[in-house]
Amino acid sequence: MRQAEVTWQMGINWDALAARRDRVRQWRNILITRLFGSVGLLTTLLVIGLITTIAYKGAQTLSWEFLTQPPREGMSAGGIGPMIQGSILLMLGTLLLVVPLGVFGGICLAEYGEHSRIMRLMHASVAALAGTPPIVYGLFGLAIFVLKFGLGVSVLAGWFTLTLFSLPVIALTTEAALKAVPQELVDGGLALGLSRWQTLWRIALPYALPNILTGIILSLSRAAGEATPVLFTASIYYSSAQTAFGLESLRQPVANLPYYLAEGYRQPGVVPEHLIWGACLTLIIFVLLLNFSAILVRSRARRRYR
Amino acid sequence: MWRTRLFDALVQGATWIAGSVLILSIVAVFYYLFTESRYAFERTFPVGFRIALQPPNSEYKDDLSMDPTASLLATHREGTDALDESEEVTRLPSHAELASMQPLVTATTQAREPHQLDPQALFRDCLRSPKRADQGERFLLLAFAMPSYSGKTMELTWEPDVSFDPAFCPYELRLRLVRIPEGVSIRPIVIDLKQQPRGRITLPVWEAHSQADWLNGYLFELEIKPVTSNTWATLAEFFKPDWAPTILYARFGMLPLLLATLLITLLSMGFAVPLGLAAAVYLSEQASPRVREWFKPILEILAAIPTVVLGYFGVMLVAPWVQQTVASAFQLTSGRGLLATALIMTVFILPTIISLSEDALRAVPSSLRDGAEALGLTFAERVRLVVLPAARSGILAALLLATARVMGETMIVWILSGGTPTMPDFSSLTAALGTLVKPVRGIPDTIAIEMGNVEFESPHYGHLFLLGLTLFVLTLAINLIGFMYRKRAQVSL
Repeated sequence: MRQAEVTWQMGINWDALAARRDRVRQWRNILITRLFGSVGLLTTLLVIGLITTIAYKGAQTLSWEFLTQPPREGMSAGGIGPMIQGSILLMLGTLLLVVPLGVFGGICLAEYGEHSRIMRLMHASVAALAGTPPIVYGLFGLAIFVLKFGLGVSVLAGWFTLTLFSLPVIALTTEAALKAVPQELVDGGLALGLSRWQTLWRIALPYALPNILTGIILSLSRAAGEATPVLFTASIYYSSAQTAFGLESLRQPVANLPYYLAEGYRQPGVVPEHLIWGACLTLIIFVLLLNFSAILVRSRARRRYR
Repeated sequence: MWRTRLFDALVQGATWIAGSVLILSIVAVFYYLFTESRYAFERTFPVGFRIALQPPNSEYKDDLSMDPTASLLATHREGTDALDESEEVTRLPSHAELASMQPLVTATTQAREPHQLDPQALFRDCLRSPKRADQGERFLLLAFAMPSYSGKTMELTWEPDVSFDPAFCPYELRLRLVRIPEGVSIRPIVIDLKQQPRGRITLPVWEAHSQADWLNGYLFELEIKPVTSNTWATLAEFFKPDWAPTILYARFGMLPLLLATLLITLLSMGFAVPLGLAAAVYLSEQASPRVREWFKPILEILAAIPTVVLGYFGVMLVAPWVQQTVASAFQLTSGRGLLATALIMTVFILPTIISLSEDALRAVPSSLRDGAEALGLTFAERVRLVVLPAARSGILAALLLATARVMGETMIVWILSGGTPTMPDFSSLTAALGTLVKPVRGIPDTIAIEMGNVEFESPHYGHLFLLGLTLFVLTLAINLIGFMYRKRAQVSL
């Protein structure tokens, strides 16, 4: 208070100063508000530009033959049928392996994650593994599945590597979904005389299912577009035959979309540009289909369980 | 009742199994990355010098590799311990033949001790297999003049073999005069080849009159003396600035790769963080629910675009643009380089930054915003003084996660970086600008490119695992710090 009196006595027109400061504040406010809005707009434009460019360039190549036929004339013509089938094969096996492991792993994290120091350490490691670069998983898959287990460069090694790659993310989303279940529901189940695991299975899990499914599909769609985990573990570039779906073929390497694109740059001029644009668009559609099915599953599951 | 128990046991069992698989995989990832790197420490260190005896006015004075009489003393992968006739190493001609060919001669042998010298088993070059850093090597070199030589002095000239860099060598390298021929007075010579990798010394002439007489001439010794263990030498070289694993004198200095990865990360985060934060603030603070409803799927689409596709997009559209605008000023024919990589990396990481920081911002309780508004703060002040500080932990966690993802992103760098390991140069403004557009090569793409052609369980393979381990440790640290901040964000709100 005394301070204020002293300054008032200095004969400064504080009202004018405050008014000026207010004007500056207003200008700054308008500037920053516009800035935030325009950055949002910029991002939107960027996405639309990217998608339309690729869609425009790729759509000219897209046809039924392109999607189903194998490449011809030393990769310079024909379609990308084997690559699409290979990608689907890799995804299917990974799905089968990773869903039980990931969901139960998530349950384990949610149930015991805070229990002891070791479990807390494990929790932190899973979080760290979720952010570990895919190339590291590729290296690991090469060292252990391809070389140590003697699987060779094969579909099996690719499955295991991709499983390992998507496992931490799925476990973490499952854990987060289970933790978001309201405590009243769980308590209600226990009060009804259900055991701990029955409560989990019959009450918490169904409630958390939409989020779990979203997590699974999103992490699989990331795995589907990622070339690096399968680079040394499952991939073959040149494939002129259709992908065979048999037990024998599990020990063979398989052509797949991301690797086809990756090799497309490494050997410039082999695969003509329009084929690559077509493959880019196909891969995006493949991944987006997975994403949309996530959204679909999520909304349907919500309707059913509430 | 037993059914309930069985059910409980089944679910619990599955949970425990999945949990142990999770633990097992964590342990296995750590363990195998470490153990596979051990192959890196089985490497050997090649050495190679060219030495010639020249007249004082030799035409090859400055370019020893062109001198047909120069001797090559080397340990590298083309060398073997036992030379035979089939070996592509030039046997020294007989005395009579030499007399008509050249006036000054250097000769070497597979023998390691002076008393083992044999005039019938002399060669022009000596190649041996490379040794570990804790094992040494010793080459003997005879130098003499033919009777036809008319000059008063001769010069012993030496230089490292093409692509051999003594600075990368873990040994002490010495060229020493071990025997002075009779009738010549000269002071002892010891040259440190690391200090003086190329040079010449003048010697008084000594002539050999017969083949047996050769052995009585000047005898030099190229001594390769171990100073550290193989492990230390490998580690020390790993932090040196030159990555060239496939050349004859292989070098595994990963510094340019590490710096490139860090620069790409820094640059793209520099672009992406202001943009991403601004968009996140817009989304969480300004946008109407309808805009937000539209924006979220757009972000998800952007996040779902595979990185190979982004890379290809960059190579077809962004790289040519960079080439025309900036790179052409540096006489570069391609726009692939640091800048193009960072630009596409920005597109790659933006959705992650936006949606994670938006989550953090929306977790700030609205009572704080209301309080700020009641105090009469403008929107900009509210964001700067209240909302952003409250969401700080969550935003930091989001940014750290994004940093780790950029660091490990492989395909974009592989396709767009140009693929040449170069050290960044910030000595001047022009050099810094040049660094911005010049081709680089990061850690992840080096692994991806070279693992395809590498011999499994060779030192090169081990070094790629060492690179992977470096990347893993870096991202692990960043992720763990991010994990801590995320926990703190959950606790504080």
